[in-house]
Amino acid sequence: MNGAVPTTIIVAGLALAGYALLMTARNRRMSVPLLAAVGVLEILLLVQVGIIVARLAGGGRPAGLATLIGYLIAMPFIPVAAAFWGLVERSRWGPAVIAVAGLVAAVLMVRLHQIWPVIHV
Amino acid sequence: MSEPAAPPEPAGSPPDSTRAGPGRLLVAVYALFALSASARAGVQIATKFGHAPVAYVLSAFAGVVYILATVTLAVGSPTARRIAVVSCSVELAGVLAVGTWSLADPATFPDATVWSGYGSGYGFVPLVLPVFGLLWLRRWTKRASRRGLGS
Repeated sequence: MNGAVPTTIIVAGLALAGYALLMTARNRRMSVPLLAAVGVLEILLLVQVGIIVARLAGGGRPAGLATLIGYLIAMPFIPVAAAFWGLVERSRWGPAVIAVAGLVAAVLMVRLHQIWPVIHV
Repeated sequence: MSEPAAPPEPAGSPPDSTRAGPGRLLVAVYALFALSASARAGVQIATKFGHAPVAYVLSAFAGVVYILATVTLAVGSPTARRIAVVSCSVELAGVLAVGTWSLADPATFPDATVWSGYGSGYGFVPLVLPVFGLLWLRRWTKRASRRGLGS
């Protein structure tokens, strides 16, 4: 499988985390550019879920199928939950929550590859 | 850049709950570990319990402790804070005990738990998380006693 999407997610997730942490360091609250970046990450994760579902539909099965399905369900909620929880906060700690979501997205891609090696990174 | 600057934090308006300010980040990370530890334990116990029973039971226990800490930190009432202090303390004791146990007796842990090797599989976040949790809660206990609320 082409590893372009997971690789993009890792780069985007780390970039988002870096940008969000910079905002925390500069004592900034949640902003429209930051929310837009979270939206981009969400779209990328949904694309990745779609790719994996298509591969499962094509008959592929990883050893840890239950774990993979758990990841597929949880993945799209990470940016949504972080955006909600970050927006509630009216201080620099809102962007800090977004940074966690970016890091988690990157880690998830590595874990997906460990669960099912056909998912290249 | 057009990011709105956060209002400076004057001494008069600190976060009004354990879930606000830095607590917002703490609750987010706790929720993440609550989800991953308990979901992982659920899958392991349901599909291959006999493979590493001790590790899986400990994973499930860790999941429960993380859920408890997440909820109590998010609620933030005096009672919830007391439960949160206990949860974070149990968590710290757990990660130190299981971390040591997993290194001393690897045979008992053919499969890892969140707390194996002091949480090395999770970037040692399980080790530092309860420390930050207890420090954050201590600030609240001090503040409450300064106000004479006795909580």
